[in-house]
Amino acid sequence: MSPLQQQVQAKIKRFELLSGSGLWVLALFTALSIGASRNFDFLPPLSAGIRNLLGVGPPVNYINWALVVYGFSALILVLAQMANNKKPRGALAHFGYLGAFYLFYHFSDGLQENFWAIFVVGLTILGLQSYHVWNYYHEKIHEQKEILEELNKLAG
Amino acid sequence: MFDNLIARAIVPVTIAVTGFVIFGCILLYSFIKDDMTAEAVRHVDGLAETVVRATHYAMMEDDRDSLSNILANVNRLAEVERIRIYDQLSQPKFSDLEGVTTPGSFAVRVDEWSKGIVSGSGQDRIETLHQVDHEYGFIAVNMPILNEPKCSTAACHFHAEDEPILGFLSLGFSSAHLEKTLALLKTRMIAFSLMVLFLTVVGVAALLRINLFLPILRLTHEMEQAVNGAAETDLPKANRKLGKLGRDFRLLVKQRDESLLSKDATRAARGSDDRPEQADSRRTSAGHEPPATTGSGEN
Repeated sequence: MSPLQQQVQAKIKRFELLSGSGLWVLALFTALSIGASRNFDFLPPLSAGIRNLLGVGPPVNYINWALVVYGFSALILVLAQMANNKKPRGALAHFGYLGAFYLFYHFSDGLQENFWAIFVVGLTILGLQSYHVWNYYHEKIHEQKEILEELNKLAG
Repeated sequence: MFDNLIARAIVPVTIAVTGFVIFGCILLYSFIKDDMTAEAVRHVDGLAETVVRATHYAMMEDDRDSLSNILANVNRLAEVERIRIYDQLSQPKFSDLEGVTTPGSFAVRVDEWSKGIVSGSGQDRIETLHQVDHEYGFIAVNMPILNEPKCSTAACHFHAEDEPILGFLSLGFSSAHLEKTLALLKTRMIAFSLMVLFLTVVGVAALLRINLFLPILRLTHEMEQAVNGAAETDLPKANRKLGKLGRDFRLLVKQRDESLLSKDATRAARGSDDRPEQADSRRTSAGHEPPATTGSGEN
């Protein structure tokens, strides 16, 4: 096998790994959501000093509006990425933002009431993102496989 | 390929619309629930304020019978399940149906909550506090009865002048109507969301099918026919929905037809050129003269 063929095969393997990355983030978010549904009771409580340092949580209403703005913008961003067939980026950032929303609700004592809202919006954003990741890298794999076939023909 | 195209077009739309509609409905329900609860709490506050003002004169005159009657009358309201006045030592002085609670009643919970505040020593004792419990269906309010300058000269005068609070009014109000309205709202929102989802997904799918998938399917069918040798004129009537793609495809087929025709004509012309030479050679060998004109060779 020529070095070029090996290179193409390595690329295919890399793309196969990357095509599942969206699902990994989705699984991480599901795990985080299970923790949030239990109000993070498995974590040790914060000491009074740290709580004082953090201060009072923002009003739940403000967090709700922030979540609406974030959810809408994130969906538009992911759909725009899909429409332009751009390289998928930002799945981990979305995971971070959603985790931050869970924490803000937790510290403002509004997590139980608003858990489903974050969970649904997170599932939607990360579901779309992982679909885009899967689609994008499968196209790349298809391209590389075609190149590999041509190389095989030339070699054979 | 075609199924894949449908999936690629519909799946993202379905995920985005479904997710955002459900998310929007959950948040909208949460906002409406908060607003309606705040309105119900204001209503209960108003009732508690009315009770305090109605009992004010009876308290000043130390008229305990009137006070008991007022509380008993308020308690007859269908939504009021617990009404109590506590003294500073967190003992209930005036209470409805003392010690009697119906099974499944939230009165015990209201009492527990009120006693917690009344017997405490926090700053929140001087504020009107609320407890909203959607699970057990009640709104409780704990309102302090504050000391007034007139109290020191009143008939019931046994409070020290520097005592800020003379007692507490505790009211347990059923939120059954509120819960019923919220449940109705939830059902209607679920039905509305399902309708929006159905219409959006089916609408998008139908529009895509009419404007994109069917024209592509038709073009694919035309291509198959063209590959099998159909001429441009034999293809079905042109579909304008695919625009330049459809026009260019038909132009290609037309160019192919023309090139095939010209190729045939060239072959035929060559064939007709060859035939007289062959005939000449045959005639020469047979001793005949060549003819003056030749046929077209295309018949």
